[in-house]
Amino acid sequence: MIKLYDYELSGNCYKLRLLMNMLGVDYEAVPVDFYPGREHKSDWFLKINPLGQLPVLVDDGVVLRDAQAILVYLAAKYDPSGNWYPVDDPAKLGDISQWLAFADGITSTASAARLHEGLFYDFDIDACRAGAHRLFRILDEHLWFAEKQDRDWICPGAHPTIADIACFPYVILSEEGGISRQDYPAIRRWCDRVKRIQGFIVMSGVFPAGPAGGRLNALSAA
Amino acid sequence: MGNTMLEAAQHQWHPIASSEELEYRHTFHGQLLGREFAVWRADDGNVNVWENRCLHRGVRLSIGINDGTELTCQYHGWRYANRTAGCTYIPAHPADSPARTICNRTYPAVERYGLVWSGEAPQGDPPGVALLDGTDVLSLRPIPVNADLETVHRQLTAYVFQPNEGLDGAKAAVSVETSGDLSIGLSSVSGDCKTQAVFFLQPVDSDRTVIRGVLAGMPAHKAQLDVLHHHNERLSALRERCEAEASQLPQPEKLQPVIQPVSEELAGMPEQSTSGRNADLRVKIARKWSTAEGIAGFELVSIDGQLPTFQPGAHIDVHLPNGLVRQYSVTNGPGETQSYKIGVKREPDSAGGSQCLHDDVREGDVLAISEPRNNFPLRRDAVKTLLIAGGIGVTPILSMAQALYHTGLDFELHYFAQDDSHLAFPDILETLGDSLHTHLGLDPEETEQCLEGLLADYQPAMHLYVCGPGPMLETTRHTADRLGWPDQAVHFEYFKNTHEIDDSTSFEIALSRSVMTLQVPAGTTIMDVLRDNGVSVPSSCEQGACGTCVATVLEGEPDHQDVYLSETEKKRGDRIMTCVSRSKSARLVLDI
Repeated sequence: MIKLYDYELSGNCYKLRLLMNMLGVDYEAVPVDFYPGREHKSDWFLKINPLGQLPVLVDDGVVLRDAQAILVYLAAKYDPSGNWYPVDDPAKLGDISQWLAFADGITSTASAARLHEGLFYDFDIDACRAGAHRLFRILDEHLWFAEKQDRDWICPGAHPTIADIACFPYVILSEEGGISRQDYPAIRRWCDRVKRIQGFIVMSGVFPAGPAGGRLNALSAA
Repeated sequence: MGNTMLEAAQHQWHPIASSEELEYRHTFHGQLLGREFAVWRADDGNVNVWENRCLHRGVRLSIGINDGTELTCQYHGWRYANRTAGCTYIPAHPADSPARTICNRTYPAVERYGLVWSGEAPQGDPPGVALLDGTDVLSLRPIPVNADLETVHRQLTAYVFQPNEGLDGAKAAVSVETSGDLSIGLSSVSGDCKTQAVFFLQPVDSDRTVIRGVLAGMPAHKAQLDVLHHHNERLSALRERCEAEASQLPQPEKLQPVIQPVSEELAGMPEQSTSGRNADLRVKIARKWSTAEGIAGFELVSIDGQLPTFQPGAHIDVHLPNGLVRQYSVTNGPGETQSYKIGVKREPDSAGGSQCLHDDVREGDVLAISEPRNNFPLRRDAVKTLLIAGGIGVTPILSMAQALYHTGLDFELHYFAQDDSHLAFPDILETLGDSLHTHLGLDPEETEQCLEGLLADYQPAMHLYVCGPGPMLETTRHTADRLGWPDQAVHFEYFKNTHEIDDSTSFEIALSRSVMTLQVPAGTTIMDVLRDNGVSVPSSCEQGACGTCVATVLEGEPDHQDVYLSETEKKRGDRIMTCVSRSKSARLVLDI
């Protein structure tokens, strides 16, 4: 069975639990005491991931680090529909990859701010927040224009992709780093849509959305 | 923003969202002058603008769940009704009906020019904007700016954009057509092309402003996206300039809105009155119709403002032109807060209440009613709820069924009636899908057999609600008892108390809080004695059926003669219906 080296409060671990739940894939979680134990820097864990970072996934002899890389692997292997990561569509793969990199940017800003506020990490909190707001402005604009073109997700197409899963956790947890999403109404609506994907699960600090969705504000047919 | 301007702004209308941002089942997070709002559109189209805090623990309601009829707080699940913002359910008190005073603060909402307008205490109507009247409009992407109102206003007067038809044409000449504190109207001309636009400024806080642009005239469908991109680019650049400028200014102090928990009217104690039956509301009969054989439906709308929040199971007193007062259950579904709908069965043998409503009262008439009281509250924590209705007893059950159906809770409604033509409110029934089961034309024996089947499989945490004619209620309660349903899982509401009241006893009552000792002679009720001595007692049916006049018993043994309390509750002896019940002991001490 798939083994996930996991920390309950990590957004990067959460995105893997989220996708595996949406794909209906069974896995075994191995809890790693990220805080306060710093077990991800322990000798035994550094042998698994020399970078000393969570998450790590082990499946069938494959050992993978990096949340975005693992999303790629899981979707490519376990989603027969090919919706989450369409391996035959180069343009879409490029598009998805650019948003996976964007998700890394969210991690280094919004997630860092959250670590500073919640787990006493020594970061430049103002820079973290300013960086997150810069990215959120870009994402909000992107999603607003996507809605205008009758699109629900970060990448074009009727189905969400791993780009949505990669970006979602540290966006929805941003308030814990003192980053309000009030100025990003299109992001807030997209978060509702992600929460309504079949198989969605929560983690601490993430609340569910009510049932039903549907967007009513595409361009009017004048 | 200067103080005078701030004060003026509190009495003005401001755009706080685009209409299109209030997506289906979404809750928008708004802010104006430092005050946060939870903004949500109910499925009936109504826009709710509420104080952004749950009355319980202050958690933001903007993260709450909009289910189309109610908004539920994420923290402890308090539910608030569309339009009234009154609390309808508290999961920590599943068996109780929330007090009327639990009502969130609401702000007015008007939609115009594709925007939602609100304000702290706006006067009059939202301002008309000549440039936008009588034409289609296109809302631009709203641009939140981290800068004060004045800075954004100044930059906007120099905003340059191309007309819709000439995005790539020669540089347009832009002129200011109108300019107020909170809006700027601009017109852009390039060659033969001209586009007019109005930019509204929403003062979010002393250092934050949202630009809400509206174009007069709708560009062709294909061009819309280009026009939206054009303004988004130009306005984003303008935002950069505003923020660069504002960052050089001293940081203004944040606005501090005053949060009032509830209105004074609700926070205060109710006025003392010697009459227990208050008829505080005046309603007009907006619609009267025949909803089934011998059953008239009435839709009552307020003649002066918003009707108070009801909960499933609630009833109102209706004061009739012939002097009678009758109780009718509210049949509404969740969030239907614009009117109360009741059903009245014609009772040929009655004292004239139903006849008066059937024969004399017409559409357009005004009636006095009480606010809704709920002595038949619905739990939402059952693993399964059985609703059993006999005849017109379906009215409170309908409200319950709709609430359960809407929240996706497991329930069955079993409706016993003479035949199809006697099924009241078929329009509501057909919305309940597979949950509705009708049992038509059964005689008492068949009814009992049917009930035995329905009640056969009691499981812990199931709950039963039953309303109907007395004999049917008795049968249901006895059957449930025999089949192992505990008393506290069986909830019932009688139309009336048919027991003969024995008022031959005389006894003493001591009022512990009022420090009075009074005598209740034979032939007089506790309620009468209390009122004769200036003690206010709320009441409704005054015959021991509705539960409104309940008092807590501290000492003594009550002589229960009501049909409201269950057998367990009667045995416990700690509550008494003061309208009919008396005392077996020489003295009763009441917590009044």
